[in-house]
Amino acid sequence: MLPDCRVERRATEELADAMDALAGVRAVLVSTSNPVPLRAIVEKARLQRVPVVVACRDEIARRRAVELRADEWYRTPAPPDEIEWRVRSATSRVAIASTAAADRIERVEYEEMLYDTLTGMPTLPVMIERTRGLIKERGELVVFYLNFVRYTKIEEIYGWEKLDEVLETTAAAVREFLDANAFRSTRMMVGFTNDDDFIFFHVPAAGVPAATDRDVTEAARRLQQFVAERLEEAHGEDIAALFDIYVGYAHVYYNPKIRLERLIYRGIREAANAARSVEERERARKVADLRRVIHDRSIYIDYHPIVLADTGRVFGYEALARGELRSLRSPEVMFEVAAEADLLWELSRLCRARALEGMRDRLTDGELLFLNVDPHDFADPAFVELEHVDPRRVVIEITERTAIKDYPKFRERLRTFRDRGFRFAVDDAGSGYAGLGSIANLEPDFIKLDISLINSIDTNFIKQNLVETMVGFAREQGAMVIAEGIERAEELDTVRRLGVPLVQGFFLNHPERERRGAARQAMAQAGERGTDGRRAE
Amino acid sequence: MEATTTPATILVVDDNRDNAEIVRQMLEVHGYTVLVAYDGDKALAIFDAARPAVVLLDVMMPGRSGWEVCRLMKQHPVHGRAVRIIMLTALSAWDDKQAALQTGADDYITKPLDLHDLLARVRRNLALVGPAA
Repeated sequence: MLPDCRVERRATEELADAMDALAGVRAVLVSTSNPVPLRAIVEKARLQRVPVVVACRDEIARRRAVELRADEWYRTPAPPDEIEWRVRSATSRVAIASTAAADRIERVEYEEMLYDTLTGMPTLPVMIERTRGLIKERGELVVFYLNFVRYTKIEEIYGWEKLDEVLETTAAAVREFLDANAFRSTRMMVGFTNDDDFIFFHVPAAGVPAATDRDVTEAARRLQQFVAERLEEAHGEDIAALFDIYVGYAHVYYNPKIRLERLIYRGIREAANAARSVEERERARKVADLRRVIHDRSIYIDYHPIVLADTGRVFGYEALARGELRSLRSPEVMFEVAAEADLLWELSRLCRARALEGMRDRLTDGELLFLNVDPHDFADPAFVELEHVDPRRVVIEITERTAIKDYPKFRERLRTFRDRGFRFAVDDAGSGYAGLGSIANLEPDFIKLDISLINSIDTNFIKQNLVETMVGFAREQGAMVIAEGIERAEELDTVRRLGVPLVQGFFLNHPERERRGAARQAMAQAGERGTDGRRAE
Repeated sequence: MEATTTPATILVVDDNRDNAEIVRQMLEVHGYTVLVAYDGDKALAIFDAARPAVVLLDVMMPGRSGWEVCRLMKQHPVHGRAVRIIMLTALSAWDDKQAALQTGADDYITKPLDLHDLLARVRRNLALVGPAA
């Protein structure tokens, strides 16, 4: 693969010892995931100013390579030209370590242009160069455009670190899928465009016909499923449900009179348009689905426990509505579709009613129900579900899906609920939109910290400082802080130490599910079984 | 291997040379290897070549601002995940800290600098870098 180089193979353990004796070695390529020899090799190589490139079998190996500060890494399996590029890049990095500073900056930036730093995937210029010879030879190429629609939402809700993790998982899944499944006998290249979308080129191998429309549709369906499964494994159902892939494709036929770049860009544009029209069709279908959901009342409620940080005792439950149809599982997706179809009030009424129905046999003494309410809902003349509940048991959680338009009127509505004894929580505090001033204006009883502040809070001192500030502020206001999205023990320890009294998250409890059919059955079957063991954990 | 005895490398970036010098001396007294850059471009070049464990980065600099430098360092394909970046800033409002989070910064120190506090913060960030530092 490196035509101007001689390649020597050594066993890993042997190499670690032999490093001192290796004169004239330009680079070391290691494929071990065993940290002990890997560390020894990296350390010795650094002393000798020899770059180390690590071939990583999986995510753990990659993290290790980064931790040990290998000069380059790549995920296996990788195409030979990527490996070559990584080795050259590592070699040149060491070689120019002594040249002028400005050159190095340019090179770092140039490198970023060619490979996406996060996913390690080649960018378009690299892909076009690689394809040049192939398309001349075969005369045709299929461009696929994979449009990932919910990624920005993930960033809004969970913060950019989470989005980065999700993109990495997705890139790995897409690569794995293409390597293992689709169009096996043909040449294939995956690239990444900066706005969260993937492109791949499919050049049929000699003697193999290009993929038919049916092949493509089928592959797209399987790819979507595959990526969704991987996301669910790695990041949980909530994030997996926020995502959709729409695949469009276009054929590009080689024409010696037209520049290849132009042909390919045209193909990409066509494929992107095709992906967009698939998306529009899907959206129309989702609106129809939502009308049916509202008509059939086919949502269910997840009750996610909020517990005391020091004892773990249940303090209350947040009611989270989910669609029974897979396409409308995520509440974010449901409400987005509802906003488009002008069905927000209808959907909100259904969610409130269902959450309150389930509350009756769930809450034991003193436990509270946290009910999500959008500011926009307060203007709904049919907002009546709360007329017949005990206000001491319900906390109205103000979740700003839409911006508050008429602030004085909104506060007046809040006042009437407060006078009746309802308490309030503000959601997503500290997310940038809800500054301390606007939180104080709402005089909340509970302040829910934005998930992005909790994610990896144990290693980020700025987040810790912000949460500490919020805890102090809440104390002055007579409110209690809730940290949601706790996924790891370290995060729990940190928020505890910072004085957060209430916590919620998958690390502590999973949401308790009550399906509509199941609830109805349980109610119909017999009262003697009571709450059918749901509270047993 | 006695790898743990290797002193951690810290990169100090500040256009105010006096400030940078004071911080350098203090850190060197405590046994750290210190590199200094007086502007963002130089800082990025040193960062790429030397891979420091911790970067102390002034926000207000001519040319590339500290925020931009922070973002570029955190995007470095190899070392971006491993480095800890502490911003030196006169800002202390809620919104400024939010902005710092968006660039990927790990910690911050408000100016004027309290050297004792600075040392404590360097230590607590190094503690999270792990044995490879």
